[in-house]
Amino acid sequence: MRRYKTSYPISWRFMDVLEAAFALVLPRGGGRLTPYLLLTPAVLLVGTLAVGLLYIGDSSLRVLDRSTFLFSDYWTLENYQRAFSESFTATIIWRSLAGAVIVTAVTLLLAFPYAYVMVRTSSALLRKFLLVALFLPFFIGQVVRAYGWLIILGNQGIVNDALALVGVEPLRLLFNYPAVLFGLVQYMLPFGVLMLAPALTAIPEDIEAAATSLGANWVRALFHVVLPMARPGLIGAGVVVLTLSLTDFAMPAILGGGSQDFVANAIYDQFFRTSDQGFGASLTLILIAVGSMTVGLVFAVFGAGTLALGANRK
Amino acid sequence: MTEIQAAAVSAINVEMTFGTFKAVKDASFELQNGKFLTILGPSGSGKTTLLRLIAGFLTPSSGEILINGRSVRAVAANKRSIGMVFQKLALFPHMTAAENVAFPLKMRRFDARTIPDRVAQYLKLVRLDGFENRRIHELSGGQQQRVAIARALVFEPDLLLLDEPLAALDRKLREEMQLEFRRIQKELGVTTINVTHDQREALVVSDQVIVMNDGEIQQNAAPTQMYRMPSNPFVANFIGVTNDLSGILTRVTSADATARFGNVELMGVHGGAVALEDGTPIKGAIRAEQIRIASAEQSMAGLDADFRGTVLDAIFEGERHVYEVEVPELGGETLKIIHHDRNDQSALEPGALVHIGWKNRDLQIFPAKQ
Ligand SMILES: Nc1ncnc2c1ncn2[C@@H]1O[C@H](COP(=O)(O)OP(=O)(O)O)[C@@H](O)[C@H]1O
Ligand SMILES: [Mg+2]
Repeated sequence: MRRYKTSYPISWRFMDVLEAAFALVLPRGGGRLTPYLLLTPAVLLVGTLAVGLLYIGDSSLRVLDRSTFLFSDYWTLENYQRAFSESFTATIIWRSLAGAVIVTAVTLLLAFPYAYVMVRTSSALLRKFLLVALFLPFFIGQVVRAYGWLIILGNQGIVNDALALVGVEPLRLLFNYPAVLFGLVQYMLPFGVLMLAPALTAIPEDIEAAATSLGANWVRALFHVVLPMARPGLIGAGVVVLTLSLTDFAMPAILGGGSQDFVANAIYDQFFRTSDQGFGASLTLILIAVGSMTVGLVFAVFGAGTLALGANRK
Repeated sequence: MTEIQAAAVSAINVEMTFGTFKAVKDASFELQNGKFLTILGPSGSGKTTLLRLIAGFLTPSSGEILINGRSVRAVAANKRSIGMVFQKLALFPHMTAAENVAFPLKMRRFDARTIPDRVAQYLKLVRLDGFENRRIHELSGGQQQRVAIARALVFEPDLLLLDEPLAALDRKLREEMQLEFRRIQKELGVTTINVTHDQREALVVSDQVIVMNDGEIQQNAAPTQMYRMPSNPFVANFIGVTNDLSGILTRVTSADATARFGNVELMGVHGGAVALEDGTPIKGAIRAEQIRIASAEQSMAGLDADFRGTVLDAIFEGERHVYEVEVPELGGETLKIIHHDRNDQSALEPGALVHIGWKNRDLQIFPAKQ
């Protein structure tokens, strides 16, 4: 008898094997338990993180005795008192938060037109080019990219060499706040675009044409129709970029050169330089609190966007 | 002194090319003020492209579009007075029904004090009073259609464009909405261009029908004219169920033509538009509902052509029967026949011997190649 090889693709065989393996582990079939079983690895992973958080909470309540380098065996709020009294803490939190907000705003401003053109262009070539240009930086990694900026923006960097040609004195382009923000925006742009693209794809093609035929010029169509319809994507992208920037380590460390530390850098210093785990832990929890409150504020004001769960999000 | 009123819409040799692909080829037509035109054609025939050219979303590669006698080449889409209902409606989901309808009034800077009344008036026109504050996703498919039509009409455009907005609806709702569109169009007297691939819709609602295929206008005529006198086999086949017969022309006069099909010579009519020559291959077209059928024992009077045949298949469709009948005299051709059972005769079964026939004026003769 003739066998129809092509009608039974390899991927189906793979699924059969998977099903057989599953039946071997659970002879009577997982039944209603199956989804929960498949959930277990992820829950364990997140659970470990939660346990770690408990340990951090415990450390943050123990103060370091500088003479013995031992932690107190009692709980105290001294670390938090120190964090809230030292102006250093306020400075780095403010710097991180303001930086994250600026980076988010600038990233969304740049990501929106990028995503819009990528989604709406009728040229397949342009779309592919924009996608590749977006993904290329991902292959390079954050640290290497930051070093790239050192080469480009340094005192003997490409930009200053070019300026010297037209007789401009070398500019200090690095190790300041704008340099850190610049690096962050450049790092966040792909995240912003990738979060926005699906939201823009979900807007039907004819919407702008409809707005136009009803009398709107493109600016009004953008503000009255496209942006409101893209809102879920803008919120999703905004929250992701905001939290990633707020907690970033590499850009402030490399492009800030130690003078522009964010909270993550301060935490690193406490854990690995001064070995004051207690103080580091309290800073960690403060960062988590600040981040959660900021995201909570965004959700309260703008709604949960694409990050909302369930079918009835709006 | 009388002034000649310009046509509401005229297309003059309009062409649209995407890259190397011609989506609309040399289209010319006129539409008079207040009339309802339907553009009919299969998917991909360039109907939407033609509509987008008129709406101003596309600019013709060549040719000219006039609205009320003026070229609109330099007029942007948002400056044209055109309401459009899109294939997928393109309603604004973040607004209520009333906000959707108010949108064009705000964009076109109508007096803010008159907007609520006007919105209410148009929602009433489409029978949606009471649904003002519903979000779009809280409305049924038919209700969404009505919002879309109210939104396209509320600013009293010179021209209404409908791009198959009914295609996605089920048949009953679609037929209901077709008549609804016609009612509203008559009530407001707005010049309308409707696009569809549903030939029934085209015949039911229109004053004028244009049939398109492959970007080309095949025929531009009133519905009855289109039905009775299709200008080529494509139109004949696209409108109604039509039987094609291949034959050789034997004699032609200014009004009629005689051709040989299988073993017989038949007389038919031709539009006269295309010169026909003796001995050339032709196509005969006869509509399924214009062929009469009766069992072999019965006789049929008043027919010009009469053949014997055998029923191959009989399909009961409620108000009518559809038969497939093999006719040896026509070289064994199988003809589709639609029979409306006016006198409540019993149906014919497959295998039954029958005779069939038609009147000469119902057989259309076209050149085989155009
Ligand atoms: N923007 C475009 N670019 C390239 N080809 C197009 C474009 N718009 C339409 N076409 C092509 O033009 C032809 C006619 O399309 P359309 O007008 O949408 O047909 P219809 O509405 O009759 O189904 C199709 O073959 C389609 O692929
Ligand atoms: Mg179309």
